[in-house]
Amino acid sequence: MRPFFRKLKWLTQRRGKEDELREELEFHLEQEAEERQAEGIPGDEARRAARRDLGNVTLVREETRAMWGWVVVEQIAQDVRYGLRTMLHNRAFTALAVISLALGIGANVAIYSFMDTLLLRSLPVSDPESLAVLNWHMLPGSGDSVVHGGSGAMHDDPGGGTSAGIFPYPAFELLRTSSDGVFSSVFAHRGTRKVNLMVKSQAELASGEYVSGDYFHGLEVAPATGRAIGPDDDRTGATPVAVLSFAYSQRRFDGAASAVGQSIRINNLPFTVIGVAPPGFFGVDPATAPDFYIPLHAELAPGSDQGPEHKEYLDGNFYWIQMMARLRPGIGMAQAEVALGPVFHRWIATTAANERERADLPALVVKEGAGGLDTLRRRYSTPLYVLLAMVGLILAIACANIASLLLARATARQREMAVRLSIGAGRFRVIRQLLTESLLLAGIGGALGVLFAVWGIRFLTLLLESGDEALRLHAELNWHVLGAALALSTLTGLLFGLAPALQLARVDPAQAMKESQGVMRRTRMRWNLKQVLVVSQIALSLLILIGAGLFVRTLTNLQSIQLGFNRDDLLLFRMNAKQVGHKEPEIVEFYSDLQKQFGVIPGVREASLSNSPLVGQGSWFSPATPVGEKAKPGLVPHILMTGTDFFATMQIPLLLGRGIDERDQPGSQKVAVVNEVYAKAYFGNRSPIGRHLIMECDKPADVEIVGVAKNARYGDLKGDYPPVVYVPFNQDSAYAVEEMTFALRTSGDPLGFASAVRGIVHRADPGVPVSDIRTEAAQIDQTMSQEIAFAKLCTGFGILALLIACVGLYGTMTYSVARRTGEIGVRMALGAERGRVVRMVLRQAIAMVAVGLAMGVVVAYVASHLVESFLYGIRPNDPATLGIAAGTLAVAVLVAAYAPARRASRIDPMAALRHE
Amino acid sequence: MPSKPISRVELLQGTLDLLILRTLTTGATHGHAIAKYIQTTSQDLLQVETGSLYPALHRLEAKGWITASWELSDKGKRARYYKLTPAGRKQLAAEQSRWDAFSRAMGLVLQ
Repeated sequence: MRPFFRKLKWLTQRRGKEDELREELEFHLEQEAEERQAEGIPGDEARRAARRDLGNVTLVREETRAMWGWVVVEQIAQDVRYGLRTMLHNRAFTALAVISLALGIGANVAIYSFMDTLLLRSLPVSDPESLAVLNWHMLPGSGDSVVHGGSGAMHDDPGGGTSAGIFPYPAFELLRTSSDGVFSSVFAHRGTRKVNLMVKSQAELASGEYVSGDYFHGLEVAPATGRAIGPDDDRTGATPVAVLSFAYSQRRFDGAASAVGQSIRINNLPFTVIGVAPPGFFGVDPATAPDFYIPLHAELAPGSDQGPEHKEYLDGNFYWIQMMARLRPGIGMAQAEVALGPVFHRWIATTAANERERADLPALVVKEGAGGLDTLRRRYSTPLYVLLAMVGLILAIACANIASLLLARATARQREMAVRLSIGAGRFRVIRQLLTESLLLAGIGGALGVLFAVWGIRFLTLLLESGDEALRLHAELNWHVLGAALALSTLTGLLFGLAPALQLARVDPAQAMKESQGVMRRTRMRWNLKQVLVVSQIALSLLILIGAGLFVRTLTNLQSIQLGFNRDDLLLFRMNAKQVGHKEPEIVEFYSDLQKQFGVIPGVREASLSNSPLVGQGSWFSPATPVGEKAKPGLVPHILMTGTDFFATMQIPLLLGRGIDERDQPGSQKVAVVNEVYAKAYFGNRSPIGRHLIMECDKPADVEIVGVAKNARYGDLKGDYPPVVYVPFNQDSAYAVEEMTFALRTSGDPLGFASAVRGIVHRADPGVPVSDIRTEAAQIDQTMSQEIAFAKLCTGFGILALLIACVGLYGTMTYSVARRTGEIGVRMALGAERGRVVRMVLRQAIAMVAVGLAMGVVVAYVASHLVESFLYGIRPNDPATLGIAAGTLAVAVLVAAYAPARRASRIDPMAALRHE
Repeated sequence: MPSKPISRVELLQGTLDLLILRTLTTGATHGHAIAKYIQTTSQDLLQVETGSLYPALHRLEAKGWITASWELSDKGKRARYYKLTPAGRKQLAAEQSRWDAFSRAMGLVLQ
């Protein structure tokens, strides 16, 4: 390596080296001359002889300089300088090329950085490859299973059956104690729900992670300060301790160091902060960012009401805890699965209540854990691949565009190349020169693209996160992403640069020099590379436009879904008074009082509350069967606990009877309102008023039906209306009263009432935070965030593709008209009319557009099935969408082609002919 | 008039480096002196072309076998003096033994 560095050093001292070499050769000449003078030759002649002997001084200098090892560098510098000059010379072309490339590369880099984060990146812990996630898989069976209840996600597998990563607590104990041969540690964790976190007597909502004593040890994560939670902290009766995330400690304690030793209250229970997690650590689920970590056994602390109840904690049929493990060196996932499968099977067989449950037992699955939990991968991998395909197409269009512009220019530069070749430039050197120009373009495009990507990542994060407040996307630019950008730029540069470069280097100098500027060597209508490029641009653009059309139609279909209630002028917000110590029955009073106060805010027409918003947070459901009727299979009604005036507030019409009102008090007859679907299912055309229902929720109850409400959405937006039973929240007839969502029907902008609401809640209890203040319309939009994101992105992409394709066609046509100036001049001189000339030029464009559209439609017919799962209310090959997309594209590109055609018809025959 | 040598031996490809390195074992000196030294010690049979001497010197310098510094010549002029480095000495030994083997082989075959 030393010679390399020496040369590098010389490169920096280049001027000095040149002078030195001159002086050295000068000295040599003098010595020679002196020698000759000593032999008796007169001074002048001696010097001349010396010089003659030395030969060509410049050549000697050149050859010596070559030894310094800079020839390649110098030539590249030359190429770059020349390339930059050429680019400056053609500003419009350069700007067009660079911007379209930058958009293409930027979009790709932005999407790729999401893929990198969501799908490819490992957890920021040491040796993530040896981490495993424990799951189970169950074959599709009779429907009876050992999973009697649970809390967490279960997935239907594409190949049939169910799988999940949640286990009963005893399964964790079992695997922890019997896996010593394959795992060095097994640790459990589970997210807390939103809890009330009080720091320095200031309350806010936060989310954290329950972790077992081995969690930090097993992940090999060392705390930034203090100590981590250890096995001794995770015991019943241990002092309650917490580890904070680094970001949270920065935010609330101005620094990690000052947080340690502090006391915090989580849902009104005291915890001592013993340590702070390292920066960048976000637990094991890339979708979340816990604010704190507390021991698993803290769940059992008296008064804690998060997560399962005591009895469920140790219940062998209640699935809720998530597990990871670290493999011992040399042990593979499959090996661990083989070793532990039978152990797990023997245990789980003991939890089966009967033979049918024993028939389909979940089997243990050991999955790779390097990337942590796969929450995000499940959710985003398909959408991201669809988006990546889209932006890949955009980049392809941009490349095709630049290639066709470069080809057009290449023909114009034939003479230049001919001159270069005939004065002795090597063909390789010429190709290198042209490729340098392309790579320069690509490089500038790529650099600008990275800037676009930074902006794009922010935009995408907003778009994707908007559907889920708990979701945290950690996408950012990193070396992988920048590396990908560099690779992409180089690849595109080579891609669009190679064809024109090869074409130019093939130029026959003698031939090209003879030709005058206005004559083309090729026959005019032959389908050459340029036209192929334009056609493929049109085809690709059509694909993107069809995609955009499908997604936009999907969005409008979703937005025009009948809700059954009025979404306008409705303010929603949530609070959970239970987390700060309000208990039943007092909590019912607390909420009712607030409802009354909200109702009298000037400008609020009605106010009500329910245990869940109608849309955006799923739904609760439990069996509820009329007395005297047999439960209909598959008809499990959705249950909503509401306050008074709920139907008036939401503007859900009542068809029969009354709504829930002041008469329905804690002590009085328990009542319910059912919706049309439920009433029809059980009572047909008979009136259900006065009939009784047996509610089988957490708090079983016998309730009397007092009204029938018109159908309204509760839970899902799509599909049929669900059967719904509404009950008063104060009658103990369904679930415990915890978090409530308030709804205010306002006159005027709903968000204008936010501060009044906060004021009222603060006066009632300053410890209760109000969260998620937003309009019903925004709440509904959030449930379609993915569709909105797709529609917006694809519309943007579609416009982009359309623009690039138009520019491509415009450029090609302009160029072709310019080349045909002479011919058109002759035609006009011979009497061709302007209209004929326009038609002649347009015919060429129409041919390209037609072929491009035909190809695009064929590909779209096949490809649009790939996005079928993203569509709602529209088939993948919707003819109207196809037609509109094709029509838009055809009109746009023909408008782009019309300008050159018109210019052709304005050619002055005399001028054109003189030009020849 | 100085007597011109009747015939000169063409320098074999790659031998110039060896000659330069060997010359510098006698001490640091400048390009012109190196050329003269080779010419006189070979009894005028070898003449080093200036056009190849300086590129060769700079090549050897780039490889780290010789170093250069500006010093005053015997006539008091600034000249670029070349000096053998330890790496150059090693290289000289290697090339010399290669050359010896080569010339012995040639001798054996031709005799």
